[in-house]
Amino acid sequence: MGWFSSGSTDTSGVKKTEGGAFESPSRSNRKQCYAARDAFFECLDKNQILDSINSKAGREKSASVCGEFDKEFEKNCAHSWVEYFKKQRVVNYQREQTIKKIEAQGGEISAPQLPLPGQK
Amino acid sequence: MSAPSRCIAAAARGFKSIPVARISHRTITSHTSTPAASLRQAIGGNTTCLRALQRAKEESSKNGAGRIRNFTQSASRSKLKTIDQIRARNKGGPFNLTAAILFVAASAGLWAYFRHEKERMARKRIAEQTKGIGKPKVGGPFQLIDQDGRPFSSDDMLGKYALVYFGFSHCPDICPDELDKMALMYDKVVAECGNVLLPIMITCDPARDKPSVLKEYLTEFHPNFIGLTGEYDNIKDTCKAYRVYFSTPNNVKPGQDYLVDHSIYFYLMDPEGDFVEAIGRNFTADQAAKVIRDHIKDWEKPLKKEMRWQ
Repeated sequence: MGWFSSGSTDTSGVKKTEGGAFESPSRSNRKQCYAARDAFFECLDKNQILDSINSKAGREKSASVCGEFDKEFEKNCAHSWVEYFKKQRVVNYQREQTIKKIEAQGGEISAPQLPLPGQK
Repeated sequence: MSAPSRCIAAAARGFKSIPVARISHRTITSHTSTPAASLRQAIGGNTTCLRALQRAKEESSKNGAGRIRNFTQSASRSKLKTIDQIRARNKGGPFNLTAAILFVAASAGLWAYFRHEKERMARKRIAEQTKGIGKPKVGGPFQLIDQDGRPFSSDDMLGKYALVYFGFSHCPDICPDELDKMALMYDKVVAECGNVLLPIMITCDPARDKPSVLKEYLTEFHPNFIGLTGEYDNIKDTCKAYRVYFSTPNNVKPGQDYLVDHSIYFYLMDPEGDFVEAIGRNFTADQAAKVIRDHIKDWEKPLKKEMRWQ
């Protein structure tokens, strides 16, 4: 696994355990991870790639076009976070599209949530 | 004061207080009469008034105690004697600016009061939903350890409101955002209500979140945050009591990388350990702080203000 070798040998990223988790998920480490994530996603956006994890084609394309950013991403985040963010990107996009579709048809959509004060 | 000036002052007072005198003053025939003369006239007039019962009744209903002393500074109706004056007075009907302002102010006051009461009753209903027997119970007794390794049980929450959040330190994005929000909420509530709220984060990931990890993690959010951890089974029971879903792998190796899926609500618990209200992710810090503050202000029983270890 690429993240494992780059994470444990390279010391420029955040400190990680052998399993690839953060040694300490501190505020500065999170910030570093978010920055790497945003850079990677920006590259995906530029190249019109949505999915960089679920499909083989997506993985290959993102690796060939945004491979450098992906490596930085893995280096600065726990591997579980990388997977989480990559999947979240797809889910968020699909959710936005669904909401747009429903709204275009004139429907109202609101996620189930607790009523805010004054809304009861 | 010399005697003549006192006399004039008394006459002037009489002139002011007796409407009959004013009327006589306004009529052209008595225009030249002195105030003292009008005073005499007024007294005379009053005696005749007393004799004629019907007229006296009318007088008293018009002037009230005005014959002896005028308590009001506002224009009395009897002042209006010419047709033009009466017409001008009646043009606007019984409404004038003062009446309008009073009406609006009273309506606004009543509206605000009833609204406040309605909100208070709604909050009371929410707060008492989980009180008593046969009600769904959220929360319950637990025995965990805090970020300094000291035991912390549900009894340590009594006497103060508690804001309970379930999370874990290796949480990618939601928990850190929510904990930042919790710090804002906590500061806002404490600023207004005093030190009556315990900000508690219970980890769903006891395998990684040892007290020292929680201490380091939570200090970055707020120095007063209490982080609770414990054995896996204790955490599982606590989560079950709070109806919190979580999915931590049971047997994890040290250093293993995984995420924990869990419910993301703030649970507001009252000083008797009963669940009051859940606060969702859609609440801003201000909205959440308002909900908590309002519940704290509704609380009529005593609240502990001192810190736990003081």
